[in-house]
Amino acid sequence: MKIDRRSFLALGLGAAAGTALTPLPWKLTDDISIWTQNWRWLPVPGDGDVTMEIGACTLCPGGCGISVRKVGDRIVKIEGLPGHPVNDGGVCALGISGTQLLYGGSRIKSPMKRSGERGQNKWSPISWDDAIAEVTAQIKTLVEAGKQESLACITGSGSGTTPLLFKRLLAVLGSPNFMTTSSMADSYSAVIRKMHRLSGAVDAGFDFENTGFVLSFGSGIVEGWGSPLRMIRTANDLKTKKVSMVQVEQRLSNTAAFTQALVAVKPGMEADLALGMAAVIVAENLHNASAVGGSSSGFAEFAAMLKQQFSPDAVSAKTGLKSTAIAELARKFADPANRSLAICGRGQGSAPGSMREFMAVHALNALVGRVNTQGGVYAVQAPDYIDWAKDSSMTAAITGKIRIDEAGVGAFAHTDSLLNRLPAKILAKGDSPVGLLLVSEANPVYTLAGTKQVMEAFKKIPYIVSFSATMDETTALADIILPNHSYLERYQDIPVRAGLVKPLINLAKPVAAPQYDTQNVGDVVIKIAKALETPVADAFPWENYEDCLAKTLGDKWEPMKEKGFWTDEAFVPGAGATAFAFPAQLPDEPALAGDEKTMALVLLPKESMRLWGGAVADLPFVLKTVPDTDLKGNQVVVEVNPKTGASLGLADGKEALLTTASGSATVTVTFFEGIMEGVVAIPKGLGHTGSEKYIADKGVNTGDLIAPFEDPVSGLDAAFGTRASLKRA
Amino acid sequence: MDSALIPKGVKRCSFGTFSVGMMILGIIVLWGFYAAALCWIKGLNQTNMNDSYGFALWIWADLAVIAIGGGAFFTGLLRYVIGLDELKNIINFAVIVGFCCYCSAMLILAIDIGQPLRGWFIFWHANVHSMLTEVAFCLSLYLCVLAIEYLPLVLENRKMDEVPFFHNLSHNMHGAMAVFAATGAFLSCFHQGSLGGVTGVLFGRPFGYREGIFVWPWTFFLYTWSAAACGPCFTMLTCKITEAISGKKLVKDNVYDLLAKISGWMIGTYIVAKIADTIYWAAVTSPSMGFSLMDYYNRHPLHHGIWILILEIVICGVVPALILISKRGRASKPLFMTAIILAVIGVCLNRWVMVMTPMAMPVMSFDSWVSYFPSWQELATTILPFAGGIMVVAMSYRYLPVFPQEKELNPVD
Amino acid sequence: MEKETEHKPGKKYGMVIDLDKCTGCGSCMAACMAENNVPCKDDESNKLTSITWIRVYRLTNKKPFPETEICYLPKPCMHCGGVGDQGHSPCVSVCPATATDYDHGTGIVSQIYTRCFGCRYCMAACPYHARFFNWWDPIWPADLKKSLSPNVSPRMRGVVEKCSFCFHRYQLAMEKAYVEGRRDLEEVEYQTACTQACPSGAITFGDLNNPDHAVATMKDDPNAFRLLERLQTNPKVYYISSREWVRRAGDNYLKNEPTNSKPRVTAHHG
Ligand SMILES: Nc1nc2c(c(=O)[nH]1)N[C@H]1C(S)=C(S)[C@@H](COP(=O)(O)OP(=O)(O)OC[C@H]3O[C@@H](n4cnc5c(=O)[nH]c(N)nc54)[C@H](O)[C@@H]3O)O[C@H]1N2
Ligand SMILES: Nc1nc2c(c(=O)[nH]1)N[C@H]1C(S)=C(S)[C@@H](COP(=O)(O)OP(=O)(O)OC[C@H]3O[C@@H](n4cnc5c(=O)[nH]c(N)nc54)[C@H](O)[C@@H]3O)O[C@H]1N2
Ligand code: SF4
Ligand code: SF4
Ligand code: SF4
Ligand code: SF4
Ligand code: SF4
Ligand SMILES: [Mo]
Repeated sequence: MKIDRRSFLALGLGAAAGTALTPLPWKLTDDISIWTQNWRWLPVPGDGDVTMEIGACTLCPGGCGISVRKVGDRIVKIEGLPGHPVNDGGVCALGISGTQLLYGGSRIKSPMKRSGERGQNKWSPISWDDAIAEVTAQIKTLVEAGKQESLACITGSGSGTTPLLFKRLLAVLGSPNFMTTSSMADSYSAVIRKMHRLSGAVDAGFDFENTGFVLSFGSGIVEGWGSPLRMIRTANDLKTKKVSMVQVEQRLSNTAAFTQALVAVKPGMEADLALGMAAVIVAENLHNASAVGGSSSGFAEFAAMLKQQFSPDAVSAKTGLKSTAIAELARKFADPANRSLAICGRGQGSAPGSMREFMAVHALNALVGRVNTQGGVYAVQAPDYIDWAKDSSMTAAITGKIRIDEAGVGAFAHTDSLLNRLPAKILAKGDSPVGLLLVSEANPVYTLAGTKQVMEAFKKIPYIVSFSATMDETTALADIILPNHSYLERYQDIPVRAGLVKPLINLAKPVAAPQYDTQNVGDVVIKIAKALETPVADAFPWENYEDCLAKTLGDKWEPMKEKGFWTDEAFVPGAGATAFAFPAQLPDEPALAGDEKTMALVLLPKESMRLWGGAVADLPFVLKTVPDTDLKGNQVVVEVNPKTGASLGLADGKEALLTTASGSATVTVTFFEGIMEGVVAIPKGLGHTGSEKYIADKGVNTGDLIAPFEDPVSGLDAAFGTRASLKRA
Repeated sequence: MDSALIPKGVKRCSFGTFSVGMMILGIIVLWGFYAAALCWIKGLNQTNMNDSYGFALWIWADLAVIAIGGGAFFTGLLRYVIGLDELKNIINFAVIVGFCCYCSAMLILAIDIGQPLRGWFIFWHANVHSMLTEVAFCLSLYLCVLAIEYLPLVLENRKMDEVPFFHNLSHNMHGAMAVFAATGAFLSCFHQGSLGGVTGVLFGRPFGYREGIFVWPWTFFLYTWSAAACGPCFTMLTCKITEAISGKKLVKDNVYDLLAKISGWMIGTYIVAKIADTIYWAAVTSPSMGFSLMDYYNRHPLHHGIWILILEIVICGVVPALILISKRGRASKPLFMTAIILAVIGVCLNRWVMVMTPMAMPVMSFDSWVSYFPSWQELATTILPFAGGIMVVAMSYRYLPVFPQEKELNPVD
Repeated sequence: MEKETEHKPGKKYGMVIDLDKCTGCGSCMAACMAENNVPCKDDESNKLTSITWIRVYRLTNKKPFPETEICYLPKPCMHCGGVGDQGHSPCVSVCPATATDYDHGTGIVSQIYTRCFGCRYCMAACPYHARFFNWWDPIWPADLKKSLSPNVSPRMRGVVEKCSFCFHRYQLAMEKAYVEGRRDLEEVEYQTACTQACPSGAITFGDLNNPDHAVATMKDDPNAFRLLERLQTNPKVYYISSREWVRRAGDNYLKNEPTNSKPRVTAHHG
């Protein structure tokens, strides 16, 4: 038929009306809404049986117990372990984010051999057998060439079976060069050894739970100092009990904000304040008679020095505090009724610090009888349960041998390990004294101050073996990687040496099946030892690491697998006063690098529970909690007093160029009333490189800007800051 | 070449000139749709909005176009319900402009929501307490009404009209138009009002919150009144622009004069109410929430200074009201133009402030002010409907008998 | 559903946060992200587009050094009940699609991601900035997907999300209780992730109407206050601070107006 315009239109309209009446449009709209709810690219978390498992967190030395929630074989949540002596259910942001390390982008998925230039990050996967064979061969050649001393090892901690297996391997091969990354704990050990005439694995144990007045010389009590969770919990208990806490610092840190009592001392003058207080105490005869007499020595000389060098005016001038305020603080501290406790170690104590400061603060405690007494500081023995470590026949090969870092003898008799001295030794003329380096659970290339020099040094080491579970700055320079399980996939005993008084050993357990082709570093060391045959193999009589752990822990093993930790409930600390030697003289203040005229400011690192400066980089969740006053885009944000900012012609929130003797960086400036004029605070924990896109290439490593300073007494790095200039960019 | 479509007895520019103009506008429209596509495909990360500025340029554009599009319902009300017959000479144009405005609002809303394909949930899971629900219902219904008011005009196109069915249809619809106009006016009063309610009910946002009666905050009434007052000014403005472009007089002065006089009195009464509302809010409501008037205006004097309030109320409110109320003001061409332009700016500025300041302003004492500048995608998608609107108006003028007085005013010999 | 609960003497879950205890450590933020499958972008330093259901603010007394003081204030969703706890929350009352809902049985303000169409009216309504929009598609690199919890559905781009008081934990606890023939929960049976994680024990969570729950008495502490009480949002999150400047910072006051001045408006539209 012929379709004219009218019927055509009628037809069209009819058709339209028809479809509108069918279910079609309704079906479509429904489908559309369902589709928008079920986008292909939106993940669907799988379901499964929910189980809780006990483990231990190793992301910092704090020693928390964790409770892991699993759905099927997936770990979906890490929580604090209720009833654990350190954290009793609480947990920090980093600990919570452990799943993002387990499943994160920085994991090393199999043994790998360097295929590109050093640091180029080019790798080719190899089998475990080949990897172990290759490392064994490298060690053999070294030994056969009589260069066993040039075999060195760096681990994150010096205690527990895993580090000690490394130490044992080196010892039986004839190398004393087992090193650990240093922290404030090493300074405290050195002080205790020196002032109490002790040796061996001694730590400072702080009886916060029973103290009546805390005087903190810059220690981040609620910012990760010592055992972070134990400190935060205890600080809150003390606050509830109305125990006063005073923070000596240059800025309103979270700790100062928490204690609500800030003593703003000039940068680096903490020791002088302590000694000034000591001077007042001696002058006013407020010291504890029995503490300075009896088995103690050197008090007369100490008192004389105080009288001579630390007059109220002198101290007031150096510290910038009123002498009346200092005297008042001294009297309060000396009052026996207050059961005072003075502590030091800046921020999280991740850097060792100066012996002048540690000795002064410890002497201050001793002076008023707060050492080895309830609510004070104790000299405690580290948990001592690994008897094979004491087997001297195994260490005979190294007796009398001088370490590359010269720790433990002569000037540095009080320190075990001086990693900070290694770079200079390596860079000295001639071949590198380190021929083969084993690195496990440490990231010295990131954590050591003076990054540039450290980089060069590590590049000069002929052969580096990394056992890291994740790709970090040090591993990036390795020649071969034998990746460890993550702490959620492996067994490991963790003696907690973070200022606790009671001995505590945590047990990390394989709560998740290994995600990748990795092996427990303990097993790997044993395999290498066995591959090296007699006599080395004989020193490792265990089938594997679990066997070693079980035999070592003995009757603690089963209960620990059950509870996740072991502690000596009955333990009573430091009965009886140990001999105390008061110093007749103190080393000088660490000099601030840089020229005072061109660099009028003092740059200080700041640490927090939201940004971790240690070997473990911030994980995505933690990084997300970092405020935009620490990190903005990819740029680090530094804090200055508005007055300082104005005087330098800087603007709040704008860019500036930060320059120190070691380097310079473009930064964003934020104005903050709560910081001393002339001081710049820079967050520690940024400037990571590597494969985790969330944290990589953001901000700067404070190690690039702050040069190390070797302490004359301990040999440890005592730098607490540096001179700096800040110019409008 | 399109002469067959052009109404009898009127003169239009050459098809060439016309299509060049269309082409330029078309390019702007395409650019706008490109930006819209980006928002639909990649999501609203294409904008510069953020969790503080959840409402921004787009919501303002919606409120503004609907306010200035209010000329349609109000002129319709005066023409069909009140029965002011002269207004038949401008009502067609008012309807077309209104239609464009409401289409613009719909389009922008479709881009503005994070899940456009779920947009219909607003009807399906409707929450009667929400002003936005009320807006959605009235808005879409009134858009239908506008379409119905527009349709007969389209059907009067020379070629269409040749189809007897259409001829009769449009004739009959004209007859029923009063009913639609009344419905439209009723719906408009509600959605214009509920748009006022959108910020007026935000008791968490002291800058926008207003007290009122029953479920309606004062802004409910102020928005309706201001739309009725300033909408016609926009109709007249666009009409004047069309005259300027076409170089012809299209509507007799007495029509303008009548509409302007009514607008003048509407603006006058509105501004009195607005001033009363502002005083009550500044002196009673706001202080009880802890904010003094200057707390809103002295933190960011540049973007959110007191100058905005003066500009909106005095310069763009009182001034045009006085001009349009006075016979001499209406008679003087420059004064008349100034007045209608100020009135249009005034109503848009009012919507701007009510959307932007509550977003920028922190309510928690320790929170901070937030600044915002739209992304090019936001700007492009906002310009898009304006360009589109001009195209529709231009085509309607070219092919439809929009202005009953055109022939008489411009005889072609 | 509402009818069923309305007549029961309602539970009213809420929080009391002791600001004297809060150290600003951020555990609560991380715990919440891990518990509720909150995604992470490469750059989260723009806090205006960063999803953190609970955010810790830094308040200062604005005095010059060394008199400066800081107070950290963790801020989840306040689960506003509106005047008389009738559920007229700023956000719930405006949501055109009923995609956010006041539950009269628990006082919890829920968010149905699958129904939200992203108009963001609720965000404009919330004076606490407790709501967050998914400007981007959430992305979990390959293996990170394994860490997702099945208790909380991942949100799609274009919808709003916020603190739910870990509502799924309530649902799980209730299921368990019903199986055991109980209709009520012990305080310990339903605790939020942030509460559990807080190393300082600064957060206490429970039923504000249940005298056996700690929050019921804590909320009456003379130093207790709520944010923006004068707006009549009626939050279920209380704060405690021994410092007057902190309590004053919790609301807005005219010069010389005493802290705790009461509101004038006592009912709201709609
Ligand atoms: N924080 C918070 N958490 C909540 C709630 C809350 O209000 N707040 N609400 C709780 C409540 S009430 C509910 S109902 C749940 C909703 O949680 P779910 O039951 O998970 O609901 P959806 O988000 O609709 O679905 C989750 C995912 O399932 C996927 N999916 C959809 N259809 C299919 C399919 O056919 N096959 C497969 N394999 N996958 C599919 C989609 O991709 C979607 O991402 O969330 C609960 N969790
Ligand atoms: N468009 C769209 N709509 C949906 C869905 C969708 O995918 N798309 N999903 C549907 C699905 S799967 C669900 S579960 C629902 C979620 O939507 P609703 O059923 O509204 O559930 P929610 O509000 O998410 O959270 C559960 C509700 O019940 C309340 N509630 C919690 N516990 C109790 C209780 O013990 N008793 C009573 N009476 N109330 C309680 C909560 O406060 C909340 O109001 O949304 C449904 N609606
Ligand atoms: S404090 Fe240290 S040990 Fe404890 S959870 Fe945090 S990272 Fe792990
Ligand atoms: S976890 Fe506790 S202490 Fe840490 S920020 Fe949150 S509320 Fe404050
Ligand atoms: S805090 Fe904001 S989001 Fe939460 S209930 Fe109140 S208004 Fe709604
Ligand atoms: S954004 Fe979602 S929840 Fe918020 S008002 Fe719109 S629809 Fe409701
Ligand atoms: S209550 Fe749950 S959802 Fe709300 S902030 Fe705490 S953890 Fe996040
Ligand atoms: Mo569900």
